[in-house]
Amino acid sequence: MNMNSTSLLYVIILPSVFAVLMPLVPARLKRAKEAVVLAGFAANLALVLAIYGKDLSFVSLWSGTGLEFSLKLYHFSGFILLCAALITFLVVVYTTVFLKDKAYSKLFYVCLLFTLTLVNGAVLANNLVVMLFFWEGILATMFVLIALGGKNAYKTSVKALVIAGLGDLCMMLGIGLIGWISGTLSMDGIRRFPLSSPLAISAFILLLIGAVSKAGAMPFHTWIPDAANDAPLPFMAFMPGTLEKLLGIYLLTRVCVDFFDFTPGSAMSLLLMSLGAVTILFGVMMALVQKDFKRLLSYHAVSQVGYMLLGIGTALPVGIIGGLFHMLNNAVYKCCLFLTAGSVERQAGTTDMHRLSGLGKQMPYTFGFFAIAAASIAGFPLTNGFFSKELIFDGAVESGLLFYIIALVGAFFTAVSFLKLGHAVFLGKPAADMKPVKEAPAAMLIPMGLLSLACLVLGFGQSAVISNFLQPVLHEAAAGEHIGSHTNWLLAGISVGVLTLALIDHLYGFRKTGKGLEAADHFHDAPGLRTVYKWAGKKLFDPYHLGGYFIRAFAAVSLRVNDGINAFYDIYSVRFVGMLSGLVRKAHNGNQARYVLWAVAGLALVAAIFLLPL
Amino acid sequence: MLLMIVFIPLIGAFFLPAAGKIASKFRNALAFGLLLAPFALLLIALPTSTTASPPGFNVSLPLGLNFGFLADGLAVYMALSSSFLGLIIVIYSWGYIAHSDNQNEYYLLVVLFIGAMMGITLTTSLIFLYVFWEISAVCCWRLIGFFREKEYVRRANKAFLITAAGALLMLIGFLMVYQQYGTTDLTQLKGKSISSAAVLLILFGIFSKSATLPLHSWIADAGIAPTPATALLHAAVLVKIGVYAYARLFLVNFSIDAFWNTAVPVIAAVSMLLSAGAAIAETNIKRIIAYSTVSQIGFIFLGLSVGGGQALAGGVLYILMHAISKGGLFLCAGIVEHTCHTMDVRKLGGLYKTMPWTAASFLICAFSVMGIPPFGGFFSKYLVISGTVSAGHPWIAAVFILGAVMTVIYLARAFILVFMGEPKTHAIKEGSRTMVFSVALLAGLSLLSGLLIYYPMHFVDSIVRQMAVTIK
Repeated sequence: MNMNSTSLLYVIILPSVFAVLMPLVPARLKRAKEAVVLAGFAANLALVLAIYGKDLSFVSLWSGTGLEFSLKLYHFSGFILLCAALITFLVVVYTTVFLKDKAYSKLFYVCLLFTLTLVNGAVLANNLVVMLFFWEGILATMFVLIALGGKNAYKTSVKALVIAGLGDLCMMLGIGLIGWISGTLSMDGIRRFPLSSPLAISAFILLLIGAVSKAGAMPFHTWIPDAANDAPLPFMAFMPGTLEKLLGIYLLTRVCVDFFDFTPGSAMSLLLMSLGAVTILFGVMMALVQKDFKRLLSYHAVSQVGYMLLGIGTALPVGIIGGLFHMLNNAVYKCCLFLTAGSVERQAGTTDMHRLSGLGKQMPYTFGFFAIAAASIAGFPLTNGFFSKELIFDGAVESGLLFYIIALVGAFFTAVSFLKLGHAVFLGKPAADMKPVKEAPAAMLIPMGLLSLACLVLGFGQSAVISNFLQPVLHEAAAGEHIGSHTNWLLAGISVGVLTLALIDHLYGFRKTGKGLEAADHFHDAPGLRTVYKWAGKKLFDPYHLGGYFIRAFAAVSLRVNDGINAFYDIYSVRFVGMLSGLVRKAHNGNQARYVLWAVAGLALVAAIFLLPL
Repeated sequence: MLLMIVFIPLIGAFFLPAAGKIASKFRNALAFGLLLAPFALLLIALPTSTTASPPGFNVSLPLGLNFGFLADGLAVYMALSSSFLGLIIVIYSWGYIAHSDNQNEYYLLVVLFIGAMMGITLTTSLIFLYVFWEISAVCCWRLIGFFREKEYVRRANKAFLITAAGALLMLIGFLMVYQQYGTTDLTQLKGKSISSAAVLLILFGIFSKSATLPLHSWIADAGIAPTPATALLHAAVLVKIGVYAYARLFLVNFSIDAFWNTAVPVIAAVSMLLSAGAAIAETNIKRIIAYSTVSQIGFIFLGLSVGGGQALAGGVLYILMHAISKGGLFLCAGIVEHTCHTMDVRKLGGLYKTMPWTAASFLICAFSVMGIPPFGGFFSKYLVISGTVSAGHPWIAAVFILGAVMTVIYLARAFILVFMGEPKTHAIKEGSRTMVFSVALLAGLSLLSGLLIYYPMHFVDSIVRQMAVTIK
């Protein structure tokens, strides 16, 4: 196939073609819809591989008023495209087995394919409005994907729609602003705009909101844990696990590295790092006390974004590279973890950790893959997560000791909660009331196996990955610096120490309570923290919940105002007219003398109007 | 030809009752034909409309009065979208109104109304603008009170009184203009500046017709009209009359004080926010959508009034996109009402199982109104917001972003209350074929207008260019 610029268009259209084919598939044919969705993702992967490494651009007329439909493939967008294509293909292989008997699977596949189209479009876009077009479109497919999860999942899908919609609309305003002040909407054309005027800062913050709300950082994260309960599991691996992180961090990097002159030590850098630090801490503390496999993972999906924000927020080359590498690693291990949760859910019938125990013997492969991915997320040395976290630590130390300490605390609790999770689900004796559980089928194991293998490969090959894929992202000045096999032995030693502490803590908790599940409960019950957790239980930290009060109050007030206006027309104006006609009626009482009086007074009035000079 | 566009529906409408006496099928087809004719003629006029000399004619009458039509881009655009919506609404009515009394009168009023709309868009005379304006008000009055119950008639009277009072104030404004320049011919009045008092009086007419706070009170009450008529009045055509008059009078013709470029957006913002809030709290599905219309009209006024080509293009595009998708929402609500016999969202639920096509169409139209791509509403919303920013009003744009978030909330709320959750009504089935066809068509158009944005946008661009030339 001849690879020219129109192939960029094919990358976007191709998944939709398969999506449109889906309803045409006869229901009688077994496995036909699975075949179509697999073919769609495979074709996407093949096409992305075929164009990988090329620099292509495509421009065509779009809507008027100076908007053009421009796409651009270069090393960064190509890299994100490739990551998305690879990981989603593996997840789809898994999903075709996972959803085999579900009635909604066809619609689910259609939405997945459309989502892939939108993601590819958003990554390839070279005009901010084109990007917004694809980016915001994900709202629609996401709404349907979550709602398919079950009877009450629609509440979560509305929550996701409103939160993500808020982020996207903020971005729309931000794009309007940056287009106005920089005079262009081309993503190539906006180069390191100085963050000096209030308008530039507003545009930066609004674009930031768009990016981090997609990535799922605080305070835009609260739909994710709810979706873990309600949405079909593959959705979690797809969207919050992989695609949303890739998209959000991709845009964040473009905003920080390309669009604005974002420098270390600036106020905006502090803002982003603080957001990252808060997200790390809050996410991991919430994850620590969860008693459901999927919900626990979803809070880690939030917490890990914090590391990426912290890394990129340092504005230092080492931090940005660390953040990007963490994005890739997180997509791999978090996806793998969600898939292991899915195989536990499918085989054991629940993800409630109270009812799970000792699955390691019955599901040895799942356990093995879980262990590798959990080691990566905890930052166990030589796994991929270790290297990216070290880079972020490195950047954090340079930017402020407090950020480094928070990041370390986050790492400690991440390790603690995964020790608890693995211990509770896979170790110990099988629960007495649990039927024997079988290992998941091969089509589900292979994707998990490949992803956990990738955790190790990315760890061993970290130097090559960084210099080949990530370093070129930085702008010219910093691109030359060598970060590849950069290891700060002191920081690495501290990290290992923190992991050891986590293990000691886990053993202490286990000794104290006798159960893996409760090994971290001493944090939940610690004085002070206990109250905070109680507040969290009452949703006091959920902006959606709090915003709901505000919106309801505002709605009630506006309904009152409208009712008042209605009353003006319906009651008061009617009464006023009635009163007037009452007065006139009283004047007409049948007394002829009075009628003469009225007539004379009227004449005098008319005469006055005409005669008096006005 | 322009005369035919206006007078085929306007006069033809009066033959419909006679046709109904012959056969109801014949009458239904004739009504469709009477709207198809102007639609087709407008399509013929389309290519020449955006040229430097658009088709038109003018007859001067004594005393500086005149009678004339002009088919420029803006007029043809408005007339096309109105007559197209009218066509769909007639198709939908075949199913909806089939079992009601007074069908002859119903079709007469609908066709007459579209005829008046054609007149409003094409006329170049202030006096005839007022005449067509009031014809539409009379049709609106009869249509709202169509089911003749006492309460309905009262609400119809209210709608008529508010819009007619606004129109009378507008007439005084027109007379002030006439007194100042001695003519009612809009082509001769081009570029003339008019006093702010006249602007204010004319705005009363415009805001009462386009349901803007505080003159919007009639629109939520008017939901008792037959649904296709509601869609016609609220979504597609009637409320756009005011918007159109704003564009025609204040953008193309008169030059007005710069003060209004800030005042009108502020009025629009207040109207948009308060009605969006009311839409979140309402429990009647038609009132929710009606308040949503008030809110979206705010976006249109913002686009038209804030200044700058981009916002103007956004506002003009918004008229079309809103007509398509809000029309779809009203018609979906009508199907629900028709089959479940209630409009209270608290008593509805779980309808997606029995009415999947209606549910999907409602969702798609709702996405478009929310401004979610790839549906058409995205582009109009983006252009209005971005145009407001580049007109130098980022704060007003931010307020409207808040309004857009509230749009997402109230439409999502309406959707889940009606279509998701547990079914609370029985005897539910999908609507009749023609009804479902109409809503699916509007939903399809919402999608297509976004995917093929080039074509509507191309036309809107040339309209805006033409308007910009005339503004200068």
